[in-house]
Amino acid sequence: MPRVAGVDIPAQKRTEIALRYIYGIGPTRAREICNKTAIDPGVRANKLTEEEISKLAAIIESDYVVEGQLRRQVQQNIARLREIRCYRGLRHIRGLPVRGQRTRTNARTRKGPRKTVAGKKGVKEMHRA
Amino acid sequence: MSRSLKKGPYVDEVLYKKVIAARDSGSHTPIRVWNRSCTIVPEFVGTTFEVHNGKAFLKVYITEEMVGHKLGEFSPTRQFRSHVGRNR
Repeated sequence: MPRVAGVDIPAQKRTEIALRYIYGIGPTRAREICNKTAIDPGVRANKLTEEEISKLAAIIESDYVVEGQLRRQVQQNIARLREIRCYRGLRHIRGLPVRGQRTRTNARTRKGPRKTVAGKKGVKEMHRA
Repeated sequence: MSRSLKKGPYVDEVLYKKVIAARDSGSHTPIRVWNRSCTIVPEFVGTTFEVHNGKAFLKVYITEEMVGHKLGEFSPTRQFRSHVGRNR
């Protein structure tokens, strides 16, 4: 199994698809990388030669921030927002949506599972059912 | 920090002049502002503002990291309310 960018071992899929298993590489970049290295995006990842794999690895390392480094970068950006206590930082601290979405309903991804509050409208009906 | 970068940052001119004047005279008294939409430029670093949030003026000391944000981002207009008594 080929190894590209550290721990990632993309499966026996087309190169174009396999590259997307790397954190930080999506459809656009996967195609971009195939173009740059002149590798056929349709070839299965396990059919790639050693040489092609090292070419992929070299390009990814020099041109893109991926995996651990990218994760750290994202965390740092959030930490910075929290530190300067700007609006976006405060939303991160509170665990609420950051980009102006409504919170009266929905926003469950950020807020987590519903915490039912007694006495609020609709709760009585829920218990009767 | 995102869209319309080609338009350049919005900096209130009157406020900008005020900040420069205050900085050159070495005064450290906070500057009261209502210009929440004014972008923070590097010249503002080290100045203290009092930014209006619709009700009161909140003190904001400008650090280097705040450059590029707007003054209003540091003066919340809503009060965060949560339920008491629940563990969290």
